[in-house]
Amino acid sequence: SNAKNEKRTSDENDSRDIVQQKTQEEILFHEETIDLGGDEFESEGNETVSEDSNNFVDKLNEQMMESVIISDSPNNSEDDTGELGCLQEIVDQMEAKDNQKSQTEVDKEEFLSNESETEHEETPKDISEIGTDDQASLKEESIQEAVKEEPKLGNNISIETKPNNIDESTPEDQMLSPSTTKPSSEAEPIPVCTIFSQANTASSQPQLFLPDGFEPQMVKSPSFSSIIETPVKSNPQVVQPSPSLSKFFGDTVNTNALASDFFDSFTTSNFISVSNPNASSSVPEQMSSLSNGGDGSSSNPSFPVQNGRSEAGGPPSSLEITQSPKPFSQIQAVFAGSDDPFATALNMSELDRRNDAWIPSEETRNVLISVATQQYSAVFIDKENLTMPGLKFDNIQGDAVKDLMLRFLGEQAAVKRQVLNANSVEQSFVGLKQLISSKNWRAAVDLCGRLLTAHGQGYKKSGLPASHTTDSLQLWFVRLSLLVKLNLFQSAEMEFEPFGNLDQPDLYYEYYPNVYPGRKGSMVPFSMRILHAELPQYLGNPQESLDRLHSMKIICTKILENLEQGLAEDGSMTNITQENRQASVQLWRSRLGRVMYSMANCLLMMKDYVLAVDAYHSVIKYYPQQEPQLLSGIGRIFLQIGDIKTAEKYFQDVEKVTHKLDGLQSQIMVLMNRAFLHLGQNNFAEAHRFFTEILRIDSSNAVANNNAAVCLLYLGKLKDSLRQLEGMVQQDPQHYLHESVLFNLTTMYELESSRSMQKKQALLEAVAIKEGDSFNTQCLKLG
Amino acid sequence: LFFAVMRLTKPTLFTNIPVTCEERDLPGNLFNQLMKDDPSTVKGAETLMLGEMLTLPQNFGNIFLGETFSSYISVHNDSSQVVKDILVKADLQTSSQRLNLSASSAAVAELKPDCCIDDVIHHEVKEIGTHILVCAVSYTTQTGEKMYFRKFFKFQVLKPLDVKTKFYNAETDEVFLEAQIQNITTSPMFMEKVSLEPSMMYNVAELNTVDTAGESESTFGARTYLQPMDTRQYLYCLKPKQEFAEKAGVIKGVTVIGKLDIVWKTNLGERGRLQTSQLQRMAPGYGDVRLSLETIPDTVNLEEPFDITCKITNCSERTMDLVLEMCNTNSIHWCGVSGRQLGKLHPSSSLHLALTLLSSVQGLQSVSGLRLTDTFLKRTYEYDDIAQVCVVSSEIKQS
Repeated sequence: SNAKNEKRTSDENDSRDIVQQKTQEEILFHEETIDLGGDEFESEGNETVSEDSNNFVDKLNEQMMESVIISDSPNNSEDDTGELGCLQEIVDQMEAKDNQKSQTEVDKEEFLSNESETEHEETPKDISEIGTDDQASLKEESIQEAVKEEPKLGNNISIETKPNNIDESTPEDQMLSPSTTKPSSEAEPIPVCTIFSQANTASSQPQLFLPDGFEPQMVKSPSFSSIIETPVKSNPQVVQPSPSLSKFFGDTVNTNALASDFFDSFTTSNFISVSNPNASSSVPEQMSSLSNGGDGSSSNPSFPVQNGRSEAGGPPSSLEITQSPKPFSQIQAVFAGSDDPFATALNMSELDRRNDAWIPSEETRNVLISVATQQYSAVFIDKENLTMPGLKFDNIQGDAVKDLMLRFLGEQAAVKRQVLNANSVEQSFVGLKQLISSKNWRAAVDLCGRLLTAHGQGYKKSGLPASHTTDSLQLWFVRLSLLVKLNLFQSAEMEFEPFGNLDQPDLYYEYYPNVYPGRKGSMVPFSMRILHAELPQYLGNPQESLDRLHSMKIICTKILENLEQGLAEDGSMTNITQENRQASVQLWRSRLGRVMYSMANCLLMMKDYVLAVDAYHSVIKYYPQQEPQLLSGIGRIFLQIGDIKTAEKYFQDVEKVTHKLDGLQSQIMVLMNRAFLHLGQNNFAEAHRFFTEILRIDSSNAVANNNAAVCLLYLGKLKDSLRQLEGMVQQDPQHYLHESVLFNLTTMYELESSRSMQKKQALLEAVAIKEGDSFNTQCLKLG
Repeated sequence: LFFAVMRLTKPTLFTNIPVTCEERDLPGNLFNQLMKDDPSTVKGAETLMLGEMLTLPQNFGNIFLGETFSSYISVHNDSSQVVKDILVKADLQTSSQRLNLSASSAAVAELKPDCCIDDVIHHEVKEIGTHILVCAVSYTTQTGEKMYFRKFFKFQVLKPLDVKTKFYNAETDEVFLEAQIQNITTSPMFMEKVSLEPSMMYNVAELNTVDTAGESESTFGARTYLQPMDTRQYLYCLKPKQEFAEKAGVIKGVTVIGKLDIVWKTNLGERGRLQTSQLQRMAPGYGDVRLSLETIPDTVNLEEPFDITCKITNCSERTMDLVLEMCNTNSIHWCGVSGRQLGKLHPSSSLHLALTLLSSVQGLQSVSGLRLTDTFLKRTYEYDDIAQVCVVSSEIKQS
């Protein structure tokens, strides 16, 4: 059987390729973690954790604690080598039988399995979050298994061995690796289907002992932000491929996905190369050299470093020049649509005071007071205390949809793709809003960049003295918001860095007494503070997020206290009319509620469900009108944990609350909750019935449509399910071309037939017509 | 024919990243409007991260012992010809056995182009280690050619829990069982049921709830779930059933206590169930003669006599003739005659004995100094530290 041999060699080639790729990625992985300083930390963390647990277990073992064999029936003994050997034989027998088959059959099989192989090549790119280890080991478990096993052992010895000592059932654990490597060396590689390609072998033992396994145990009171435990050391996710999908409850296996995995899959599209941390890390270097050369006065690196190095002061005289504010008449020409800052400054209105109020730190307050009292005499401010932002990357933007079209549909089709870009709109706020609402956020980011460049805060301007205006900060806010919306968290973090903790004196109006005479408060929009606080959690550092949110909470509470005591927001003695005071209390209460919301979301992301539920409960106090939604949300949290009973209790509470309201929306909510409850009870048929019920009331309900289709799949009705989703997408593509819907659709295409590629491409065309450049193409799972 | 398999783990809920702004900010209400238009957000509470949109599993995930393995098997006719006599067979090969999972073994007569055969298989995983799903499809083409192919899908079944146990033997024949259950998966786990199924000799009382005002409250508080690597300790009290308690000698040596039955749930009610093997314990040896306390006051007055009742059981195979001696210690003074004849005691029978003693020292005192001598064998058994009693000054007790 020549064909057979040929196939075997080709398989081997394939696997060798994968091995190479694998090792490369392994290396990448290392560079990555070391760059970010995560690696050493991680291994240290592991050791201490496992030692601790050793001690702990020792203590518990004092007397006669014994490990108990779990078996489903008492007769099922633990597997041992003998039994595995037997399995081996069976596999061999099966192979042998295969070989005896007639030539035609073999050919046929060849054809089929080859087909499945070609699909394999795509899978690693598709499901890039899985982590490369898994993929490699799953597909061809022969040589690369052994290769892979070694580096892993080298890296994680502390993780792998120690827990095994604790756990007395080591025999099985160790068995896992031999069992996977041994049969494969003899057996022909087993073809595996695309959708199935998440492996277990790699994710078996070591990942059970992920360092973050212990993290959630630490119960912290939210009011003690000073006790910072070591954060979850999940690997920093540089760019999350599709971060919104099931990051909260899914297997933590995913958190191992590194940027490197992701880049592999996306090297074709432009934006990745920019958000690649390796690429961008070179930028600060360039800039620091530039700022050293250009700005003779300062010898410190481009970012205002917060670590209190006092050498950064530099000759004060030169700094003084920078802080005296200059009018920006030349820039204002650009911002035709905006208010004249002078005009607003002159009549410091109630509204301004109310909205811009913020309580600076002691240090900042002192600087501001000295600015106010000394006016133009020398005020010495450390360069560290100044905010010197600048674009960290230039023109990142492309259009991933178009790139995919070029690849799969050809140039002609790609030409038809027309989206707005930064050039095609008015270079003003008006154009910016146009880009945002048409979902061309990448272009909008570009436009923000241009407008900021006009403000003197453009590319390579970071570290150079800058003057801030209301507009410049709003532009920064929009740009950074959009970066977050585009899941480019790393980039957002880099550009946020110069802003420090948003409390530097030059971010207050008082710092510019002649530009904004009499105006007080912070230029930083409140929403930008929220964004700043939320950002670290998307980068694997939720503790930092909680810290920032807590300090925001403290200030909000303080402002509310001040208002209650008859003072102005910032604690000064100002007369405020009752009406204005009321409005101000309302504003700050809702802002405080917003902070609580972020905290709750952050706790949810940390999987600290008990605290998250508490936090959502307190959000209800601030937003009573959202009570039914929030209670339903809490119910869903319990469903996700698996606590169906408590979930049901919350859903009943929702029904009580909505009983009074009576309306279409609350009716839908009740039905939706019932459907979810049935889902939790494994009753997909009943769940489907309730989702369909919602559609009877509101036929355009995207969630119900999608969820009903998902239920159909679990009921074994793939075709019906597809019909429902396709119908929904065709009916109102404007609305339903959503990431999650498309993801479900493509998953089902892959399950349905070998024509999934064509069907996905058809979806791409539909997307190309309706969606802007911010569309996340990942959900189409096109290689 | 096209053939694909997908594991059906429970779907997950879509989560979005809320980015909000205020009306006075540059984008006005644009960001908020964008979130309202996004179908995946919760209407009316767009800032809530956890949405309602279900998304299909993205990868195989992990599968643990005791969970149910569900899988979608789809066979699709990609060709332009009708295919006949299609037989789809799904077997699961474990390290020890091979199971057939297909719902029906009957062949489908024909499959038109672009039609498909769907099957959802379920299997409760009962073994750890490598599992191979073997799917075989055979069919006949229009030209009468018989075709056959199969695919293998390999996965590992992991252990979800680590269970450790510890026994305490109480003076009264009760046995206390401490069971530590650790979640060694990577996702939070809701413990729906952890119960001890006792063997025929015992009755069990679960000590994991506290009754407060008629409502039983879990000792684990509001935290109903186990985070990855979390351990929970359950406590059970086992009492021998009446018919066995009487024959004290019966419960000796290694005995079977029972087994733990554990039911848990994870994401959206994905259920798992496990039982431990029979838990065994080594019953403490009581020697030939066992002396146990039936009654004793907890607090007594200084230098005032008090009564205790002892039970003496012959655990040996022979009849004994016992003599009781009482030796005073520094604090304990026995009242009555030492060297009293207790008479003959047959195997497995017992007698009750009332004794009076007083303490001359305050504080927690240990009752010690009983000696039993079997006159047949001239063997003496010593009983010290039988029980503790709290001795207080009589004035305090009166006031």
